[in-house]
Amino acid sequence: MASIMRPGLLRQACSPAASQRMLSTFAASSVKRSSPLAQQIRPAFERSSILKSTRVAAFHATRSQQILPAPPQRVVGTANDPTPVPPPSPSHGSYHWSFERAISAGLIPLCVAPFAAGSLNPVMDSILCALLVVHSHIGFEACIIDYFPKRRVPLLFNSANWALRIGTVLLGLSLYSFETNDVGITELVKRLWAA
Amino acid sequence: MATTRALARLATRQAAVRPATSVFSRGLASVVSESKTSTTPDPAPSKEPKTKTFHIYRWNPDEPSSKPRMQSYTLDLNKTGPMMLDALIRIKNETDPTLTFRRSCREGICGSCAMNIDGVNTLACLCRIPTDTTKESRIYPLPHMYVVKDLVPDMTQFYKQYRSVKPYLQRDTPAPDGREYRQSKADRKKLDGLYECILCACCSTSCPSYWWNQEEYLGPAVLLQSYRWIADSRDERKPERLDALNNSMSVYRCHTILNCSRTCPKGLNPALAIAEIKKNMAFT
Repeated sequence: MASIMRPGLLRQACSPAASQRMLSTFAASSVKRSSPLAQQIRPAFERSSILKSTRVAAFHATRSQQILPAPPQRVVGTANDPTPVPPPSPSHGSYHWSFERAISAGLIPLCVAPFAAGSLNPVMDSILCALLVVHSHIGFEACIIDYFPKRRVPLLFNSANWALRIGTVLLGLSLYSFETNDVGITELVKRLWAA
Repeated sequence: MATTRALARLATRQAAVRPATSVFSRGLASVVSESKTSTTPDPAPSKEPKTKTFHIYRWNPDEPSSKPRMQSYTLDLNKTGPMMLDALIRIKNETDPTLTFRRSCREGICGSCAMNIDGVNTLACLCRIPTDTTKESRIYPLPHMYVVKDLVPDMTQFYKQYRSVKPYLQRDTPAPDGREYRQSKADRKKLDGLYECILCACCSTSCPSYWWNQEEYLGPAVLLQSYRWIADSRDERKPERLDALNNSMSVYRCHTILNCSRTCPKGLNPALAIAEIKKNMAFT
């Protein structure tokens, strides 16, 4: 994982000089190759050492906590400049928040109503499913924005977002088939509760 | 001159091919634990000392390659004032003058001595030393800030963010009677709980969202200050102020974790202010 994050590490581990240095405890023991015999067997030795050292480096150089460590401090502008104010975009700001809260609030009665009424309504079921899909999508999206910041890992941010979108579509499709071909989500919860 | 340049070029080339092991890299800010460092005793304990141990985070920028470490000090509480700041000042005066921390007013109005004491962000001058001498106290700088030295965090980003919310009265129309801008008692009351903030950054640095996204999320303290001007009846730039916050990062990284309200040493409620900002943005 760390070698994916830090390609430099892999490169350094693969370079023969570095790898021999990592393998050996002595500073200059492994680089003396004056005899012709040693010149002959050199490629085989080096190949094996690269393989080994890559393994060793991958095991030792990865510290368990070194996932997105804090970068060196970077001050944009002088200390007396304000931080830049991003352009207003209500669709990512206030509208997004109102929409998210409306869905969350709407889910509460929708979760209670089928059981309180004691009857199954396919329309209610479908609305519940649709809101659940949107609700989970917004929730995971917030996680991605928080933990894979676009400014630091734009590639990871984009791929995570696309994975989420694919997942959401799959969830919607599977819920749709579950509702149309099987008992539906409310009935499932009912049966699980009774089981 | 030419030789110097050639030598310098040689040196850079050597540095470039230097193998991996000597590349300078530092991991997460892990600290050398107190069990591996020495303890500095109280220089002059009394006859029946109430000795308490303080473990204090130390890091010296003059030795950038050495890890931060926990340094232990024992103090006789009979000879120390009641507050954590008194203990720190006594350590600095009597045992270790190299201990570095910010302090000014020693009464909770300047916000300089904000630090993490026993796991809670608070002002050292408002934090009593727990009299239970069997428990050891641990003092760290504010979490997730760049450390200048020992207990001194770098507040540059925090102040730059504070500047970005324009914390001053913006108004075009003059007062009707040409005197000061008046407001009703009810309007003035809206500012209670907001104007008392001393910008000690205890709340912002206790917020996980601020830890992860300090570069873009403004944090509770700055948002509380922003709301202090949004709520002010004399200010005429409320729409502009709200527009400046209306994006996915500035406010909406707040997930109502409420660490801010829990830790505020002045007893304010930044989370409520952020909720009011969100309400204002949703309904205007």
